[in-house]
Amino acid sequence: MEIDTETVFKIARLSRIRIDEDESDDIQKDLNRIVEFVKKLGEIDIDGIDEFNFGKTNIEDMRKDSVTIYNNTNEILKNTRNKNQDFFTVPKIVE
Amino acid sequence: MNEVKLTQLGIKDSRDLLNKKEISATELTKAYIQNIEESSKLNAFIEKTFDKALMQASKADKVIGTDSQKSLCGIPLGIKDLFCCKNVKTQAASDILENFIPPYESTVTQKLWNEQAIMLGKLNMDEFAMGSSNETSTYGPVINPWKSTGSHDPLTPGGSSGGSSAAVAANLCTGATGTDTGGSIRQPASFTGTVGLKPTYGRCSRWGIIAFASSFDQAGPITKNVTDSAIMLKAMSGFDPLDSTSAKIDVPDYEQELAKDIKGLRVGLAKEYSLQNGDSEANRKLEEAIKILKNMGAEIVEVSLPHTEFALPTYYVLAPAEASSNLARYDGVRYGHRAKLDTNDSILELYEKTRSEGFGTEVKRRILIGTYVLSSGYYDAYYKRAQKVRSLIKNDFDEVFKKVDIILTPTTPTSAFPLGSKGTQDPVEMYMNDIFTVPANLAGLPALSLPVGLDELGLPLGVQLIGNNWQEPLLLNTAFNLENTLGFENNPKKWWA
Repeated sequence: MEIDTETVFKIARLSRIRIDEDESDDIQKDLNRIVEFVKKLGEIDIDGIDEFNFGKTNIEDMRKDSVTIYNNTNEILKNTRNKNQDFFTVPKIVE
Repeated sequence: MNEVKLTQLGIKDSRDLLNKKEISATELTKAYIQNIEESSKLNAFIEKTFDKALMQASKADKVIGTDSQKSLCGIPLGIKDLFCCKNVKTQAASDILENFIPPYESTVTQKLWNEQAIMLGKLNMDEFAMGSSNETSTYGPVINPWKSTGSHDPLTPGGSSGGSSAAVAANLCTGATGTDTGGSIRQPASFTGTVGLKPTYGRCSRWGIIAFASSFDQAGPITKNVTDSAIMLKAMSGFDPLDSTSAKIDVPDYEQELAKDIKGLRVGLAKEYSLQNGDSEANRKLEEAIKILKNMGAEIVEVSLPHTEFALPTYYVLAPAEASSNLARYDGVRYGHRAKLDTNDSILELYEKTRSEGFGTEVKRRILIGTYVLSSGYYDAYYKRAQKVRSLIKNDFDEVFKKVDIILTPTTPTSAFPLGSKGTQDPVEMYMNDIFTVPANLAGLPALSLPVGLDELGLPLGVQLIGNNWQEPLLLNTAFNLENTLGFENNPKKWWA
């Protein structure tokens, strides 16, 4: 199996998703099934093929790089209970 | 007018009656509200906005027949829970967005309200649009209004836009918005006897639609018929400065182009899209569609898309990769769910516990696999390689569209399957459902699913039309001609009320 237990915990850490010991086996099995499935891509010759893109972006189609004023801080803060004045609060991050 | 019949009408027919003042928008809206109230067994509507709907209806009634009337005036719609709607709870059917109230409106829904459509509420879906059966929703699965002949087993309405497809099939709204990343409009449409259209990438703005895989996601309509699809698509489409990938290409009047004849149309049949069981009603329905097209003067051309077998593996590298990046924003800091923390927990525990509690199993799986294929040492082998294979798949279509105008395929390998019957042991089994729909997303092409009849089980079957970029008018025109001859009627037996 390509993805071992250690790798499962490593990618969980990178993903900021906590995984318990008792669920890691099932997750490992599922991830390996998916990896086995997508390994088919290894069968194909990709020499000289460019990575996909939707075409070139015209610079004149881009939005003006200008300041827009967004005034509804209160509306945004309505979505959290964890606030202090106009700020979100989180656990202490500086000792 | 009899209320049962009123809600069977769809968009165009309702519009015509509203214009003739034979019905009022308020009357129409109330009829839908009654249907929704009786439909809790289907689990399609997860947030009802009836007060808003009745206010919009009352406004609509005042402008009908005046110069201020717009194209969807008084037409009640359902909105997939992936679209942010200002001051309406929007969760993408996920716990991580617990009680999220967007302070803004998605561009697509704003366009619909600008056209004076009426919002009935939010529709159930797979969590973050990740699923093919609606079973990953935090609200529980939607139940398909259709049942197999002689059976009471609940069937999937498809996914991820299963609430949208079920609501349209069960007459809970005239039409609904959906989104399609790998088939999430077309497969549910196929499973419920409705018309589902995924437009060309860039046709509809993605702004305000909760992102899953940004280079695949497209919004589109699920409707009762092709004409309604044309009407709704026009209202949803157009350039938006807030989405840099939306196209500066004029929006045609799709409805105007529906009735053109299709003489001389070159229709491609790709051998890579054949059904496993040749001797099936699904195959016979496909043959019937081909025969109809021939009779109308279309030319049938055998074509090949040789890299089709790589489409699903490509998709299941790229879409999770994009999802892992898009879903990184759900950190519990600013909105949605935040885990209860222990006294000594740091910000890292805040992130990890919140995301562990807030995301469902399938979403976590895709974030993990996406993180893996993007991680150091694996990026070239998986992500970069898949991006190159995506080019090969697009090239296949480019070659084929030199020879044909449109490609005809089945939409799905089977009709609707029972809830709980797929993917419980192996997630890949569920992924196989998207085998015919994923290639159009990889190539960014428009594709439409049209109901063609019922299979041996008495369940709806769909065919898919894939067009070249910006060929929505041709897709709708071809589908309209097929629809007229096929005469499919969407009338599941009403067991839920």
